[in-house]
Amino acid sequence: MLFNSLSFVVFLVLVLALYYSKIFGWTGKKRMLLLASYVFYGLWNPPLVILLWISTVVDYTAGKKLAVLADKRKRKLWLLLSMFVNLGFLAFFKYGDFLLENFTGLLNAVGVDYTARPMDIILPMGISFYTFQTMSYTIDMYNRRLEPARTFLDFALYVTFFPQLVAGPIVRAKELLTQFYTEKKATANQFMWGLFLLTIGLFQKVVLADTLLSGTADTVFGSREVLYSLDAWTGTLAFSGQIFFDFAGYSTCAIGIALMLGITLPDNFRYPYAAIGFSDLWRRWHISLSTWLRDYLYIPLGGNRHGITRMYVALMLTMLLGGLWHGAAWTFVVWGALHGIYLVVERLLKGVVKVKINAWNGIVLAFLTYTLVNITWVFFRAREFGTAWNMIKSMFFLNDEGAKVLYEFDIAKVLLIITGLFICHWVMRNTSMKEVAQRTNPWVFGVFWAILFFLIVISQGSGEQFIYFQF
Amino acid sequence: MNLHKSFILAIILGMASVICWELFWRSQGLEPNIDDNNNLSSIQRAKLKNPSNDQVVFIGSSRILFDIQLDLWKEQTGTEPVMLAFQGASPLPTLQDIVENTDFNGTIIVGVTEGLFFSTTFDKAPPISRAKERIQHYYDRTYAQRLNHLLSIPLQKNLAFVTVADETWDSDVDLKTLLILLRKGERAGPLPAPFYQFEDVSLDRNVQMTKRATNDTAYANTIKLAWQDMLSGDMPPPDKKGTTEFFLKYAEKFRERGGQIILVRCPSDGWFKEIEAKGFPRTEYWDSLVLRSKFPAYHYADYQQFHDLNLPEWSHLSKEDADFFTTELIKILKKDGVLTHSKTE
Repeated sequence: MLFNSLSFVVFLVLVLALYYSKIFGWTGKKRMLLLASYVFYGLWNPPLVILLWISTVVDYTAGKKLAVLADKRKRKLWLLLSMFVNLGFLAFFKYGDFLLENFTGLLNAVGVDYTARPMDIILPMGISFYTFQTMSYTIDMYNRRLEPARTFLDFALYVTFFPQLVAGPIVRAKELLTQFYTEKKATANQFMWGLFLLTIGLFQKVVLADTLLSGTADTVFGSREVLYSLDAWTGTLAFSGQIFFDFAGYSTCAIGIALMLGITLPDNFRYPYAAIGFSDLWRRWHISLSTWLRDYLYIPLGGNRHGITRMYVALMLTMLLGGLWHGAAWTFVVWGALHGIYLVVERLLKGVVKVKINAWNGIVLAFLTYTLVNITWVFFRAREFGTAWNMIKSMFFLNDEGAKVLYEFDIAKVLLIITGLFICHWVMRNTSMKEVAQRTNPWVFGVFWAILFFLIVISQGSGEQFIYFQF
Repeated sequence: MNLHKSFILAIILGMASVICWELFWRSQGLEPNIDDNNNLSSIQRAKLKNPSNDQVVFIGSSRILFDIQLDLWKEQTGTEPVMLAFQGASPLPTLQDIVENTDFNGTIIVGVTEGLFFSTTFDKAPPISRAKERIQHYYDRTYAQRLNHLLSIPLQKNLAFVTVADETWDSDVDLKTLLILLRKGERAGPLPAPFYQFEDVSLDRNVQMTKRATNDTAYANTIKLAWQDMLSGDMPPPDKKGTTEFFLKYAEKFRERGGQIILVRCPSDGWFKEIEAKGFPRTEYWDSLVLRSKFPAYHYADYQQFHDLNLPEWSHLSKEDADFFTTELIKILKKDGVLTHSKTE
């Protein structure tokens, strides 16, 4: 079920009505939320709920065992079982065809004539998100950083909680599981703030991403011609806006919906396009994934504890795998590699050049960071390296003549929105939406809210999926 | 932070703006309409899950969709029409789907618009991909999509501005389309002529031309201009051999299992008629297909009563003449005894 759909509106109203009715006690409410979460997921493809159940049962059992076992070998085996099941799901469902394709390519490269039929496996929605979430629980249990879930119901709800099930934020057990232990109820103000977050999240998705930016990005990246520089840049900028609004929109909706139930989810985006440098970017973009990769990959790989070379290797590996997490294609790996290189270069430069950041050089550096981020988006969005390479050449004025595929109006529209986005991120860099809302006159805020609602209604959209569902 | 005031104001202003938006579009002559989208097609396709002999399936493109009025068809033949003709699409993928994936062995009426029928068998080409997308949606649709469609119907029926379209031409009033209509300049080539909506659709996919397109000549002229704009560029050459072989392969299979196919060429007029006569001469395309397939075939030009019909935008009949065309065609089919399962008079 999509947040930007009519069925979700009905679903949410029903869930809220049951949640705030006096029919259920707290355990009954949690059962209702769990059932609702399975319905939310199952309305897309009912049999794939079984994967969620397996993941839930395996990790709950592993967690319980890890809490009581002292034997190191047995503890490791339980951890490995959890890894095997979750990563096995990912390997099969997400990377099955990719692995087969590369295996075939490798055999052909060494002269073995072999063709394999694609397995055409359905990618279960949100599999990358919920497997990472459940694995974090087991790893934390293994490292004795966490108390085990008190009941199976609490754990199942932690894995399946519908607001963040299919596209995050990837929430750690200590942030969410413990909230289920005592009855939660939103205050009137929390409820309305949650509703506002849902509105602004839908506005980002339906109006900004789908209505205003996606068409331009699709035209540019769907073109088979070598493009004129302005078109290549406009298409890339449009995609940078589209993916931000699409994904941040989802996270904002998820946080808002959870808040309407009295549950707090952590921020997933903090105005990333105003980041100064790439370390800063990854503290602001998809925060729940970057902290996951830091805690469960980069640090176990050695982090910065074993010298500079090992640190760079760990960093590159983390970013390469982070790229692959986004999709089973080499273009995503290149996207991750570019981010890895940026991070390494940034750390090298920081050792040599000391800059004191102020408002003036800050905005220049933020703009430079954003420009470099756009180069990486080309590889993220392009389906083939040929397209990506042509785009890059056009962006760097290496194609003397290129096709003009965008109308003046579309270019102006994208440049206006992206300039607004960048300025907005810069202004909001050290504050939050809530702080700004608190400072704003309630009548002005109400008018702003109404405008968002109106624009969502007149955009309507065709219920397009969120980009990150495919990851 | 006290959000009560903001919340109440947002609700009042938000609802008031939506009501104003609806009233504005109503004042512009827009009426609530059902969108002919993938979900609506899937409901029709689902009727063939357990097919019966008293069903008649229509396949083809927009002409048969506009020109056959299903309510009259049902009333006058006693058969259950299943409308699987899609705008701008070839009937070939639909025929293939019916033959390969259903047990239907009743009557299929194929609307032949030569420019689409003989265009290609290439999967990625729009006449084929459009039909395939519609067919595939039936297999791929999720329960959530079905529920969304169900919930959208009361809104579509009552609010003029609501659209749940899959094709860009199905909506004139969503924000994305309105912004496209604001485009100026010729940087990426001449701007395409706006293609305004001219159909009223019912839940059973009965399509009629709108009163506005029928009575307002200026409005109909915008559609004529859009046709000329769309069809004036270089078009890929038709694949007569490939498409004919494809059709005959599946038509023969269908005949072997007891099914009946009827070919119908719906009327065209004006500029459309001229370019079709030049690009797809009757003897070379229609007559050749009829000769090779040996199916009962009906070309509008062969019947005096179909010579002066009203096609406001050259390609589709007005509602009144679609009624007439349907009624007269049924009489002809009955007279020839080709509607084997229809009720007797």
